Amino acid sequence: MRRTTALLLRHVGGGIPQALADMLVCPLSKKPLRYCDASGSLVSDAVGMSFPIVDGIPCLLPKDGKLLEDHQRESGHETSPRDSSD
Amino acid sequence: MALRAAAARLSSSSLRRRHGHLLPAAATASHAAFLHSHATSFGFKQVREDEKSKLVGNVFSSVASSYDVMNDLMSAGLHRLWKDRLISKLNPFPGMKHLDVAGGTGDVAFRVVERIKSVSHRATQGTLTDMEEDTHIYVCDINPNMLDVGKKRATEKGYNEEQCLSWVQGDAEALSFEDGSMDGYTIAFGIRNVTHIEKALSEAYRVLKKGGRFLCLELSHVDVPVFKDIYDIYSFSVIPAVGELVAGDRQSYQYLVESIRRFPKQEKFAQMIQEAGFEAVEYENLVGGVVAIHSGVKL
Repeated sequence: MRRTTALLLRHVGGGIPQALADMLVCPLSKKPLRYCDASGSLVSDAVGMSFPIVDGIPCLLPKDGKLLEDHQRESGHETSPRDSSD
Repeated sequence: MALRAAAARLSSSSLRRRHGHLLPAAATASHAAFLHSHATSFGFKQVREDEKSKLVGNVFSSVASSYDVMNDLMSAGLHRLWKDRLISKLNPFPGMKHLDVAGGTGDVAFRVVERIKSVSHRATQGTLTDMEEDTHIYVCDINPNMLDVGKKRATEKGYNEEQCLSWVQGDAEALSFEDGSMDGYTIAFGIRNVTHIEKALSEAYRVLKKGGRFLCLELSHVDVPVFKDIYDIYSFSVIPAVGELVAGDRQSYQYLVESIRRFPKQEKFAQMIQEAGFEAVEYENLVGGVVAIHSGVKL
């Protein structure tokens, strides 16, 4: 049963395995990240920045983060890797 | 070569007195950045703090593909034994969450996985247990080229990312993992290249659970009289030359040997680990101090 669940959730969060999504936080604020489907990036709402995922590897270097445009801020439509594990 | 090293040493001390004003980049790059940046070391050179990470990045991008071959050559294969020693000190267990920082090529992570597999297979005679499924090793490296090498090697070894290994590009000084989330933290030949060692140590402390182990394998300081002289000649003459021959990159390996000499001595580093909050801090010298393994526990 556990294995099936793991399989289903495997790619929640745009190619990031669940075990990874569960652990990741924003490198600056240490607050949760949410996955943004539209941009395929990880968003830290706490500091208003997004971090890219390149070849399945999240790039969580503060210097590689991009400032969010206004329309990208918490829209409520994104799926959070964290929520979907519940 | 010895002359060149001496010259580098001289110029670095004069640069330090002038606080890096002589460095061309400092004059041309943004003045605002310079105002807020302190001088730090890049090998024997003094550079701006924000520049060190860039320079270190260049070194590792440049050596990523030949990194493992060079490690074998430079240490006469000993780095394998040192890493094995690190793992036996870590004593990995099934179900553990482990973070390996600066381990892009996967050398430490693969060993942790192997050890856990062998431990749990002995216990359960080959059946995959729930505990083993919970095992997860996170590899964090600041350099994407090193991570690419590691990911490729993982595929070759038949490791399935979803099962137990994850790769993250991140900074040891600003980790992107939750507080109290890891049972173990290792950093092998990495902390020397970090700009602020104390920030990396406090991040290690933050991500560890109570009872979690911190282990650091690093090239250190030799204090055995004659052996020290031989080691110095080897470091400053042989390594840069081999680096040029094999990796086609003398400067990166010149940086390597200089950065080793700039790293705090064993006792001082142990004290820094204590200051970060760790308890039961101790270290073990291997090969007379060519490398040292420092360890601590978060209580």
